[in-house]
Amino acid sequence: MKLTPAVLFCSLAVTVRGAERMLTFEKDVRPIVKAHCTHCHGEEEKPEGGVDLRLRRFMDLKLEGGSHVVVAGKPAQSELVRLIKNGEMPKKGKQVSEKDLAIIEQWIAQGAKTARPEPLALAPGPMISDDDREYWAFQPVKRPAVPLTVDAKKVRTPVDAFLLKSMAEKGLSFAPEADRRTLIRRVSLDLTGLLPTPEEVAAFVNDESPLAYEQLVERLLASKSYGERWARHWLDVVGYADSNGYSEADSVRPQAWRYRDYVIRAMNADKPWDEFIQEQLAGDELAGATHADFQQAVLDPRRTDQLIATAFLRMAPDGTGDALDDAKLAKNQVIAEQMKVTTSSLMAMTVACAQCHDHRYDPITQADYYRLRAVFDPAYNWEAWRAPAQRLYSLYTPEERAKAAEIEVKAKEIEVEARAMSKKFLDEIFEVEIKKVPQAEQAAFRIARDTPVAKQTPEQKTLIKKYPSALATYSLNLYDQKKQDIVDAKMAEATKLRGTKPVEGFVMALTEVKGQVPVTKLFNRGDHDQPKQTLTPGELSVLASPQIEPFKPVPVSSGSSGRRLAYAQWLTSGKHPLTARVLVNRFWMNHMGRGIVNTPGDFGRQGELPTHPEMLDYLSDEFVKSGWKLKSLHRLIMLSNAYRQSSVNDTSMQSDPENRFYARFKLRRIDAETLRDSLLAVTGTLVQASYGPPSGIGRDPQGRVVTGIDKGTITLNKVDPAGADDFRRSIYVQVRRSKPVTVLDTFDAPIMTPNCELRAQTTVAPQSLLLMNDTFVLDSSRRLADRLEVAAPGNRTEQIKRAWELLFGKSATQADVARGIAYLDEQTKALTQYHHDIQHAKGVVPNPPQEAMASLCQILCSSNRFLYVE
Amino acid sequence: MNRPKLCSRRHFLHANGYSLGTLALASLLERDGLLAAPVKPESVTGEIRYDLHPKKPHFEPQAKAMISMFMMGGPSQMDLFDPKPMLTKYDGQKFPGEIKYDNLAQASSKCFGSPWKFAKHGECGMEISELLPNLSKVVDEITLIRSMTSGVSNHAQGLYAMNGGRVTAGRPALGSWLTYGLGSETDELPAYMVLSHPGGLPTFSGEHFTNGWLPSLFQGTLVRAAEPRILNLDPPPSLSGAPQQRQLDLLKAFNEDHLALHPGELDLQARISSYELAAKMQVAAKEALDISKEPEYVKKLYGVDNPITKDYATRCIIARRLVERGVRYVQVLNAGQSWDQHGSLITALPKNCQATDQPSAALLIDLKQRGLLDSTVVHWGGEMGRLPVLQNDAGRDKWGRDHNTYGFSMWMAGGGFKKGYVHGETDEFGHKAVIDEVKHYDYHATLLKTFGLDHTKLTYKRNGLAASLTDNQGAKVVDELLA
Repeated sequence: MKLTPAVLFCSLAVTVRGAERMLTFEKDVRPIVKAHCTHCHGEEEKPEGGVDLRLRRFMDLKLEGGSHVVVAGKPAQSELVRLIKNGEMPKKGKQVSEKDLAIIEQWIAQGAKTARPEPLALAPGPMISDDDREYWAFQPVKRPAVPLTVDAKKVRTPVDAFLLKSMAEKGLSFAPEADRRTLIRRVSLDLTGLLPTPEEVAAFVNDESPLAYEQLVERLLASKSYGERWARHWLDVVGYADSNGYSEADSVRPQAWRYRDYVIRAMNADKPWDEFIQEQLAGDELAGATHADFQQAVLDPRRTDQLIATAFLRMAPDGTGDALDDAKLAKNQVIAEQMKVTTSSLMAMTVACAQCHDHRYDPITQADYYRLRAVFDPAYNWEAWRAPAQRLYSLYTPEERAKAAEIEVKAKEIEVEARAMSKKFLDEIFEVEIKKVPQAEQAAFRIARDTPVAKQTPEQKTLIKKYPSALATYSLNLYDQKKQDIVDAKMAEATKLRGTKPVEGFVMALTEVKGQVPVTKLFNRGDHDQPKQTLTPGELSVLASPQIEPFKPVPVSSGSSGRRLAYAQWLTSGKHPLTARVLVNRFWMNHMGRGIVNTPGDFGRQGELPTHPEMLDYLSDEFVKSGWKLKSLHRLIMLSNAYRQSSVNDTSMQSDPENRFYARFKLRRIDAETLRDSLLAVTGTLVQASYGPPSGIGRDPQGRVVTGIDKGTITLNKVDPAGADDFRRSIYVQVRRSKPVTVLDTFDAPIMTPNCELRAQTTVAPQSLLLMNDTFVLDSSRRLADRLEVAAPGNRTEQIKRAWELLFGKSATQADVARGIAYLDEQTKALTQYHHDIQHAKGVVPNPPQEAMASLCQILCSSNRFLYVE
Repeated sequence: MNRPKLCSRRHFLHANGYSLGTLALASLLERDGLLAAPVKPESVTGEIRYDLHPKKPHFEPQAKAMISMFMMGGPSQMDLFDPKPMLTKYDGQKFPGEIKYDNLAQASSKCFGSPWKFAKHGECGMEISELLPNLSKVVDEITLIRSMTSGVSNHAQGLYAMNGGRVTAGRPALGSWLTYGLGSETDELPAYMVLSHPGGLPTFSGEHFTNGWLPSLFQGTLVRAAEPRILNLDPPPSLSGAPQQRQLDLLKAFNEDHLALHPGELDLQARISSYELAAKMQVAAKEALDISKEPEYVKKLYGVDNPITKDYATRCIIARRLVERGVRYVQVLNAGQSWDQHGSLITALPKNCQATDQPSAALLIDLKQRGLLDSTVVHWGGEMGRLPVLQNDAGRDKWGRDHNTYGFSMWMAGGGFKKGYVHGETDEFGHKAVIDEVKHYDYHATLLKTFGLDHTKLTYKRNGLAASLTDNQGAKVVDELLA
């Protein structure tokens, strides 16, 4: 049976109405007592009043007053029922609903049966029951048969068959295929985050090949921009930032970009995700490197990437390099936050909830949390902590290092020379100045001058004060600026020479220190000052069923513990019930606008159930079978009818506004990066320089954070243009947690605290204000207008048509053009008047028609046709 | 019912040459006279359209607007609002009973009597802690609820319960429900505005003002913590005024063409509306968010002149100015979960109070003197309270209290809530609500009632079901809270 809320709801309803299904403890009653009772009655070390409700047989208990917790067949005599009815229990939390009470009563009336014999012994604490284990997300992925009962003509890929089957029950079917202009815009934005050029649109529209669409998808998958787009999705999930966060300092993380580049390259190379994940969790162990020998390993080109990849485990906010009130807390906080990132990204479980106490809704115990933490503890080792600076590894080759040292020696020699030069000049000046001192005091002054300041007698100090200008031991510039310039020029030689050193790059990585394997303890209430029992590394109990081998670290020759590698291998073994499902669900969401599980970071009971559980399993299995290749999965999804259909389908809109059945393509706003990148692209200013250190940012005088060179001070906001760097794709712009770039932030780019599972999609007035008044949009509009003028000088009709092609991938209608022209006429008149009325700065020659065109471009850039993907 | 101030502002706009499109005019007429029925989306062509026009509530309302001073973290009720002589008596001794630790630490069972004194205040004789000297002076205006419960253990769930009606994430916030149910009294400012703290957003940031699955039109608009509080309010000089309006008119025409091809797309509609709003905000928001012209005595009343209270005072004044201008719902937020005193309660709690006590009391005085308090609900409270026993027994300066969701306090004022009234009691130690418990959904049901809304009828159709704020949890209106 499919697990839809409707089905669950019905099964309960049937029960309540008193149908004759035999209720069982496991299925019907245990979830109720687990939610309301076992918290005190069973899960704590000593159950309250000795009453333990974790198992049915415990309920035969005779209480002090002589009554029994449960008397099979007799709800009225069962204390359980009486106490709930009287409102005496539960003592805290929500009362048991009437519906649930009715279920308990009915179950007792039917004889209080269990579905199967109960275990003879239970470990103390919360029990992970068979029912917990039976929860859908913990089941192994089972490849379902592709439905055959659907109209084969509507099936392009198996995805369609699954969707058609479910929508048929709703009386829905796919919308017709979207037209080609719509399709190429959709596919280009989806795969590259950039608009198709008018030439690309025309080529696709006129492509007569029956495989035109497939070829389009292939071309885009092979483009470099693909990686720059799809890396962004993963960087959201891992919480990528170029700063450390945590405290107000939010210091810069100048080496993080190598990880960003690694992700982009992995996407473009279609690196299998099992390898990709293993490298990120245990690249150091794969490369056989520990802290001590990392330096050599990182220079081995075969291993560099593996080591860079481990920055995944360094993405969490980390304030331990900054001045802090509570350093111990900060260290443990890094681990806790990274646990959040790791478990939400790869398992979509809110494991972090179990840091302080057993998970309230999912079968994850606090001990589980610390077992999992033990996998990572050897690398973090909070009691022998390494701050961010101590986790950087130089990329200097021995030759480069030697060369740098050699240059340094020379630079120092120049500095010595410069200082000697300065002294010589000052001494010369002194010989002139001393003559102004009375003859009688000259000798004494000379001695005083030659005496180091610390050793000068009070008399000598007084003497110097008496003739200050005669001292001439510093401030050469005050005596003779020209000579100072000569010294400065010499000093500058040293600086210049140092500039010729090979650039020293660093890898930000996670490693273990050979032989250091700290003991992991459960922290009471998550407080590191209250350590309790020791725990060994392992998977969450609910996933560690007997079929799964017990957790065993992989022997690693380097001396690393091998725990992370073992865990990474398990996650990517194809047998883990969550990893592939979680990844596939996210890929699906990025294409289709909603997840099959629409809470991509929470597959637990507080999350939503999958709308299409079979399809999720099919895709997961297919993903694993295809060698964890994302590009294959793209094809499976993008070549489907589901993906190619129009976004307009009235029936679907009426009966399924949230598009849970996918009977139309979900119309949605382009994301923040796409908005910025596309505006740069259509104005012809996008700089396609890939990889490397990020473009800088700063706050401008209006308080906006923009790209550029930050010239701000504590009292003043100022940013200088940085040239080409300001026009790179957004993925290459510095991500400072405390200073989100305004254009991106306004359109819901996430702030990483610590990561982002699902971006908000807001539609608020500040976005409109930005599109109306922000310099970035105004500049872009002006540039676009200039570009149009170059393409068709003086021809407004052609310019308007070209703008539509550039921004919307569509042809403007005659009416659109006519409206545009009428607008330009009026606006030109108004702007002419405006310029007539004001005084212009010298050299400014207003051009009202061009400004009017810029303002029309701004309208088009602000319009829904541009802002939405259809 | 219209506020006269709104009319004068509208004239001001006309005088500035803002031509109102026909649709906007229609909405004004509607606002001035005929009010639409509650939440019935326009459906002329079968297309569903939501708007922010004022909606007529289900019955005669007391309240029209709300300011929520949300105190994320869990303010300690026995140190602020709920005096417990018995706890003081047992200070340092073992707690004589069972403590519900919220399944957190088996922290300590040592009673922690409040280090602060309580005294009776006002004509009503309400007992308030010495940490809140300013609130003490206005107790005759407030309803203090000492028996709040949410029954969930942690910050996230507590927030979801208090703000979204249920312990699960992803649900619409209270402010979204109110704007959805009642629309807006202003078309110049967002109906739902959120004033954030300079230290950042509270934990679970966006969840505080999400529209969840309600249409995006009902989202909270976040206002920056420092000037400029809203970016990009200034049009470029050459386009200011008529030229920009000309731009917006053409933009709207293009967007309407596009919408016609995509009937029923709520987000496209919301964006069209957001441009209309943004255009008006350029003048209105700047004026509303600027407190420089407030009289000195008002600034002093709130504490703008004192560095400790300056930020909160400024934001409270802004909140009042927004409500004055027709904004339906304003949240004044703290940073992080600054009321979460697991440790160092003795130093940290007074600091929080010093920053907020004077401004929040001043807000009541100010609203009252302007005749706005009767129609404005003011809320002060967090997502939970704290335990009577001490946590972190590592020296007095480190003492704190753990979470407690079985009985905590918050106060309401104005908008139909009783004056000088204390509702409910916790046990002798302040651990659990024992008399007149108010569950989070009871509070919501009551709050909606004072806005003239029936919590069972304010629904949104979702997946074939009627979803609501109180969501079939058996919520009851607590009529005793209302005057």
